[in-house]
Amino acid sequence: MSASAANAAAASVRETRGEWMDRNSGRIMVLPAVIILLAFAIFPLIISTYLSLSRFALAGGSFKLTFIGLYNFRRLLVGAQQYHFLGTLKPLDTAGWIAFAVFLALVLYWLFRFVVREFSVFGLLGRLISASLACGVVLAALATTVTGGYEGTLLTTCFYVLFGVTLQFALGLGLALLCAQPIRARNWFRVVFFVPLMVTPVGVAYMFRMLADMQKGPFAPLSHALGFSEWSWATQAWSARLMVLIGDTWQWTPFMFIVLLAAVENQPREQLEAARMDGAGAWQIFRDITWPSIAPIGATVVLIRLIEAFKIIDMPNVLTAGGPGLATESLTLHSFIAWRTQDLGGSAAVGYLLLFVSTICCVSFFNYVVRWTRRYQ
Amino acid sequence: MRVRLDNIHKAFGHVQVVKGLDLEVADGEFLVLLGASGSGKTTALRMIAGLESVTSGRVLIGDRDVTDVLPKYRDVAMVFQSYALYPHMTVFANIAYPLTVRKTPKAEIEAQVKEVARQVQLDTLLDRFPKQLSGGQRQRVALARAMIRRPAAFLMDEPLSNLDAKLRGYMRAELKHMQHQLGITTIYVTHDQIEAMTLAHRVALLEKGVLQQLDTPANIYNRPANLFVAGFIGSPPMNFIDGSLSAGRFTAPDSDFGTLSTITRASVVAGVRPEDGRVTEPHAGKLTGTIYATELMGDHTLVTCRIGGATVTVKADKAFNRQDGAAIGVDFAESAVHLFDKATGERIN
Amino acid sequence: MSHSPDTRPLLTRLFEPARLDSMAPIPKIATYAALFFWTLVVVFPLYWVLVTSLKVEVDVDSGPFYVPFLDFMPKLDAWDFMLLQNNTLGPYLNSIFVSLTSTLLALLIGALASYALVRIRFQVKLAAVLTFVLLVVGVIVAVAAFDAPWQLAVAVAAALFALALSTFVKRFRAAVGNNDIEFWMISNRIMPPIVAVLPIYVMFQHLHMLDTQFALIATYTGVNLPIVVWLTRDFFAGIPLDLEESAEIDGASKFRVFFTIALPLVRSGLAATFMLVLILTWNEFLLALFLTNANAQTMPVLVAAQNTTRGPQWWYMSVLIVIMIAPVIVIAGFLQKHIARGLLVGAVKG
Repeated sequence: MSASAANAAAASVRETRGEWMDRNSGRIMVLPAVIILLAFAIFPLIISTYLSLSRFALAGGSFKLTFIGLYNFRRLLVGAQQYHFLGTLKPLDTAGWIAFAVFLALVLYWLFRFVVREFSVFGLLGRLISASLACGVVLAALATTVTGGYEGTLLTTCFYVLFGVTLQFALGLGLALLCAQPIRARNWFRVVFFVPLMVTPVGVAYMFRMLADMQKGPFAPLSHALGFSEWSWATQAWSARLMVLIGDTWQWTPFMFIVLLAAVENQPREQLEAARMDGAGAWQIFRDITWPSIAPIGATVVLIRLIEAFKIIDMPNVLTAGGPGLATESLTLHSFIAWRTQDLGGSAAVGYLLLFVSTICCVSFFNYVVRWTRRYQ
Repeated sequence: MRVRLDNIHKAFGHVQVVKGLDLEVADGEFLVLLGASGSGKTTALRMIAGLESVTSGRVLIGDRDVTDVLPKYRDVAMVFQSYALYPHMTVFANIAYPLTVRKTPKAEIEAQVKEVARQVQLDTLLDRFPKQLSGGQRQRVALARAMIRRPAAFLMDEPLSNLDAKLRGYMRAELKHMQHQLGITTIYVTHDQIEAMTLAHRVALLEKGVLQQLDTPANIYNRPANLFVAGFIGSPPMNFIDGSLSAGRFTAPDSDFGTLSTITRASVVAGVRPEDGRVTEPHAGKLTGTIYATELMGDHTLVTCRIGGATVTVKADKAFNRQDGAAIGVDFAESAVHLFDKATGERIN
Repeated sequence: MSHSPDTRPLLTRLFEPARLDSMAPIPKIATYAALFFWTLVVVFPLYWVLVTSLKVEVDVDSGPFYVPFLDFMPKLDAWDFMLLQNNTLGPYLNSIFVSLTSTLLALLIGALASYALVRIRFQVKLAAVLTFVLLVVGVIVAVAAFDAPWQLAVAVAAALFALALSTFVKRFRAAVGNNDIEFWMISNRIMPPIVAVLPIYVMFQHLHMLDTQFALIATYTGVNLPIVVWLTRDFFAGIPLDLEESAEIDGASKFRVFFTIALPLVRSGLAATFMLVLILTWNEFLLALFLTNANAQTMPVLVAAQNTTRGPQWWYMSVLIVIMIAPVIVIAGFLQKHIARGLLVGAVKG
């Protein structure tokens, strides 16, 4: 009697516990992810904010944080560290001002068109933020590159991102289109082209150092023959940057390739066939059917790459250690070097500026490009 | 077991999908929820299953209030329109799933699956995967999976609509037989009135979330409660003529005939089923008009006539052969006339 | 089958195909030429690494040698040193263990979250979220700036949060739904790791867990969660809802539905996500550099460390690169098809 009562009670407890689990299963399923993201993203982000507003000093085995407001940011943007972050700025000459005026006019026209055609308060606000960042970067670029000053880590990073992602997209798309032709061994090419993605970036960097060695590398005989065996790419700012760009492109083109190939193979068959019946040539088919159908996917992979490209560090670190001078130093590397010199506040400030720049770029790209390519979906 | 819906409401945001539905399904009864798409019939079924929350009202299975009980504790089984077979499991695993989840001993599962599979003639296909089966076989797997648990009630959401016409007729008979054998309360949703008429003990006809009529198929057909039911059931649908009624005599611009009713009302609708009418020579029947179209259906011909402003379709002999535009009469018995109030749509005789 | 002889002008024949499924000679040659050129671009660096791993210092220093046995005698000295004398095995096993464990963990936790976000409706009061963030900031400021004991600060914050939940939070209507939560999860990926790594370093230092595999696994899991959520959400959304509802009526709990119905149905998507996350963790450098030292060091850090004062020793480095690439290539070869499809689905709807 009592045993059976106990059994019943136990059963009902089990049922209620089961029922509780069922009713809250959604929360239970999301909770681990939320906790981990809080611990490894949000909590660090808040601490970093604090760090970037403080001065860090070692004091007898322990450390001391002093709140100093925006000093770290001021130093990077207008103070002693400006040469590092923005570059060594020199006054613009007439040509420089004209170039900037042209760019400004384009940006203003873009804003004007938005206000006239599809005005919204948040839209305008977002566009103003994007426009100011773009103007700032262009102004800094003009004040360094054109005037003969030195570019800072911000411009170097933007260079890697802008040219690297464009190059990777172009190459990836080209290879995908070639691979989609009726050729033999298509699968073989597909697997081979995928491989660079799997090599560790540090390894890629060393690999390219080996290959680009002017004395002992595989291309040494060639450079001998051409007569510049004494020249070293690592001593020139732009050749060193180009080297980083080549390594990055070698590694990441496969990512673009593999997704774009799948997109190309997925394009609507019937539209292709209809276009062929209508007598469209290869270029017309690409322009009118292939491109619109892969554009949304293309825009999304570019967005994914943009997000990752801003974080570049391994390649310049190993290839050139950021040199010559600051020429190849990316923002992440800048932050890393600041950390190594115990300037934790400065390091966090650089990291934060990188976060701002990359967030604004990625969100802008999503709003103006990705959304636009999806307008038919 | 008995299933009861008590003043059930369901709203998705501001859209009222089910508006105060009361329904009582007797133990062992086969009840069909009939309605067009958007009538709320599937939502009602999903609320019984527990897949949709109830905005207000109560759901009872047996004597238990299950309004806020999770689907798994309601002891109902459901057959979906898509069958919802698990593509990565064999037929055996599919049928056994409800028992596996309940941690039934292996030997018992094996025995029961074999038993149920034999009933639906799947015993040779137990090792196959769903994609290797035909539509009818998949349907039977879904049925077997529902049957194996001996649930308090079967819920079926248009289970036959993915089959071709021939197989559907066969499976309809199978289903009716099986339900009769098992004696388990069944609530069956469909938009197909033939399924409703052939399968149901009682039919509940829903429109815009409101129950229009709940009755046996015969009563629904013979004594439709309102204009909507009269127009929904029957193919081709009932003919309607707008007019007025004075002491039982129906008058419209081009027609004038007596009915069994004795009421006087200004604005009514008279309805006659196509099969209750017959064609006659002009002025020989109750109505006279011209032939608009004739369609040979095989065993009979449908003749559509224009009578005043109204269109009336009657069934005629398959040998019927007269030119479109010719004058024609239509006759029917006084007892075959259904009368409805024009404003409320309610039946008045 | 016989074809009638092609009577079109030579120029047309060179550029336009005779049939739909074939290519004209000139485009065909151009296509193959381009594809072979890129194959060379991809393969030659890897070949050079492989060859270099068979050299000794002399072979490297006295000019470029290209083909083993013809130019130089391949020697296994570098392999012998790296695998048997140098401590390579430790970092190698670390890498395998850390990347496999963290990838599987990220996959499990991320898939659970994205499944729930796809299938179950969430309503979290915005006021609760804001209160929570404010309290976290408050705790950090209190501890960092005013030297408050962290246990006390956390306890006070928790009490305040409970109080807030039971009082004013209920009055506010505004709530965050599934899309907002999902967007928040995915957007965490935009954050550069360099921003997060310092606090994470400090956190593990406080927990005395620097240079442990656990620290690395936990961090990698966190860093890669957004990718998993992003990629798997569309796979789950693609499962017919009927299947899961049917299982639920049949008596399965949400967890059981997830593990026995949903997960098996998105195998190929999981394979793609697994592969991508595995590659990312296997190759990750920056976080490993910060969080590990001797004990839990992983391969990328070991490779980077070969840059000695005497200049990089190419033959040793090459061995390391080869053994790092080999296993991933093997796995990727098998999963290559899934990866393309998986990335496509993730990217299209992302």
